[in-house]
Amino acid sequence: MRKTLTVIRKEYLERVRSKSFLISTIIGPVIMSLIVILPALLAESGGEEARTVGVIDPSGQYLEPLQQALIAQEDEHITLLPINVEGLPIADGISDLKEMILNESVHSGVVIDQEFTETRQVTFYNKSVSALVMLDNHLRPALNRVLRESRFEQAGVPDSLHTFLAAASDWTSIAVTAEGEEEEQNEAVSFIMAFSLILIIYLMVIMYGSHTLTAVIEEKASRIVEVLLASISPENLMFGKVMGIGLAGLTQFSIWTATILILSFQGVAIGSVSLDITFLSPVILVSFIMFFLLGFFLYATIYAGVGAMCNTVQDSQQFHTPIVMGLVLPMLMLGFVLRSPDSTLSVVLSLIPLFAPVLMFIRVCVQTPPLWQIVLSWALLVLAIWGSSRAAGKLFRLGILMHGASPTWVTLMRALRS
Amino acid sequence: MFSQTFAMPAHGEPILSLRFVNKSYGNVRAVRDFSLEIPRGCIYGFLGPNGAGKTTTIRSIMNIILPDSGEVLFANSPLNATLRDRIGYLPEERGLYRKMKCVEQLAYLAQLKSIPRREALKRAEKWLERLDLADWKQHKMDALSKGMQQKVQFAATFIFSPDLVILDEPFTGLDPLNIELLREIILLERDRGTTTIFSTHMLAEAEKICDAICLIEGGVKILDGTLDSVRQQFPMHSVHVAYADGSEPPAKLPQVSQRKFEDGVWRLTMVEGSDPQQLLGQLAKIGALSYFSANRPSLSEIFLTAVKRSRDEHAGGAGEDSPTISALEGEI
Repeated sequence: MRKTLTVIRKEYLERVRSKSFLISTIIGPVIMSLIVILPALLAESGGEEARTVGVIDPSGQYLEPLQQALIAQEDEHITLLPINVEGLPIADGISDLKEMILNESVHSGVVIDQEFTETRQVTFYNKSVSALVMLDNHLRPALNRVLRESRFEQAGVPDSLHTFLAAASDWTSIAVTAEGEEEEQNEAVSFIMAFSLILIIYLMVIMYGSHTLTAVIEEKASRIVEVLLASISPENLMFGKVMGIGLAGLTQFSIWTATILILSFQGVAIGSVSLDITFLSPVILVSFIMFFLLGFFLYATIYAGVGAMCNTVQDSQQFHTPIVMGLVLPMLMLGFVLRSPDSTLSVVLSLIPLFAPVLMFIRVCVQTPPLWQIVLSWALLVLAIWGSSRAAGKLFRLGILMHGASPTWVTLMRALRS
Repeated sequence: MFSQTFAMPAHGEPILSLRFVNKSYGNVRAVRDFSLEIPRGCIYGFLGPNGAGKTTTIRSIMNIILPDSGEVLFANSPLNATLRDRIGYLPEERGLYRKMKCVEQLAYLAQLKSIPRREALKRAEKWLERLDLADWKQHKMDALSKGMQQKVQFAATFIFSPDLVILDEPFTGLDPLNIELLREIILLERDRGTTTIFSTHMLAEAEKICDAICLIEGGVKILDGTLDSVRQQFPMHSVHVAYADGSEPPAKLPQVSQRKFEDGVWRLTMVEGSDPQQLLGQLAKIGALSYFSANRPSLSEIFLTAVKRSRDEHAGGAGEDSPTISALEGEI
């Protein structure tokens, strides 16, 4: 036991004291916030880039209200460029507009029908798909407003009623939890939080799980392994390594979490994504910690076993892909599980130890499954960790005798069976 | 503190016993029915050509591989993890953590042999001083020369005051000065009561330092005992001879079993019971002798004779895979 502690201490300090630890501790949150927040920021500011839209308005009465409507929508980045077609056939104006779009002097073009108030007809000319986003988010609502206003006017609706009649439905979204409580939630925020938590589990497994692989290979490459095995059993050595590396990872993530918590208590909001930790109910928090740890230990011991069989990092490449598949597959299934978290297939998939850290956790986030399922998935994970760490120790002992030869799947299987 | 948990055998009593150890790799029987007793307090030579099964036997002792059958006793108890803390091991495949500081490295390896950290650090400093590496203690292993790394590894083997150390080819890659330094340490540690198993294929090296030996070939023990008793078992002479005009002694002489040219003289291993005096007469007839001496046989001569003798006894039983005597001659 004391020897295992010695190994844990050494592996932990070696990592925490390294320069790369310091660097990744600082850079990690930057990258993570980019991954999480950037899409949100981009989605919001989608058209923030200045755009010029050519407008053909033969009646001459819609251009001004459209300009007003865009300003009311805070869409100042869209500039309207009137294309004068007075006295000319509209077709000429349109061909001019097309040419301007092609030579990029305007981003896109709108042709408003002469009798727009009656016909509601607008034609949109564009070159790129991105223009359609602008159409939906900015031009369409603005022109709808213009249409509404002009019809109100036509029908003689008094100004005081305009706002009243233009009202849109107001939505509140409530999540019903197992305890029967109702809580108001911001769906986008919960999803982003759940997604970031999964991302943290993911990062932990990939970054630190593969650390155990390189750490074990280093031991073999530097040939210190025989001295070590003369002093400590391979099982204890493996356990110590995985624990030490895991604790180093945990330290890093604690630093990150603390930073996030401090920021969120300060009420810092990034974009419109406020860091809302109220989403972290006790159930989610506990299962996050459990899946975080168990997921790491499972993959770390698998990585360690692979490392035990290989002499160089290159040797290990061929085994890398299947392990990463174990992590990628649940991401592909994520959509399905999100849509029907209670289906038999979802339940079965989320109980498989390799997938559980992602799939069972997302189920906990979206719709808390029965307690027995969560506990069962933990039990299965513990069982899988026990099995893979035993196998890793066994492979470590056998791997010593395999200097020189690159391992293949066949030798790996034979070694495990013996 | 450990001496209280088990009774150390008296000086000269066996500290380590192997009983019928067997280990095969696939169809190759690396070690066959290997039995051995190593008396406490001696330097014990574990000798044989490369591939004789020395490293496999040592790895079985150190629990790095599990033997197929047989048992290993340390101080009369089956060897377990606690007892293994009393054994130091310098493997043939050397290596240390490249990015770790010398003093940390030694302390870590001592801790893995159950020495508390504080004490381990103290001893690490002491050993680095003893090996003239005090200036390097805060350097990473990468910064050290190969010879220095070997010395650090040597210190790691002794740092926890083991009762038994196993050194597998300890002198390979070292310059004569360092070999001398390490030899001194081995002798000093023996005087302190440490038993040493010294495994090597360089028989001349072993002859200088060992009290007792065991000769292994093809996974089988050929002979063992103290150096004196082994010599008594082979009461033959080794005649060293050279001619002024560079002539060769005849290839086939009835009283000579082996002929080898080494360091400018011909070494003729004589058949047991034959008389060097009579051989001198015969050799003198060939030409003018510039050098003649009659000696006790060297260990490698004894080894080759013993291998031949054991093969004659098992008439043809050695199998096709065992190397010829002349191939062995090149190895040792």
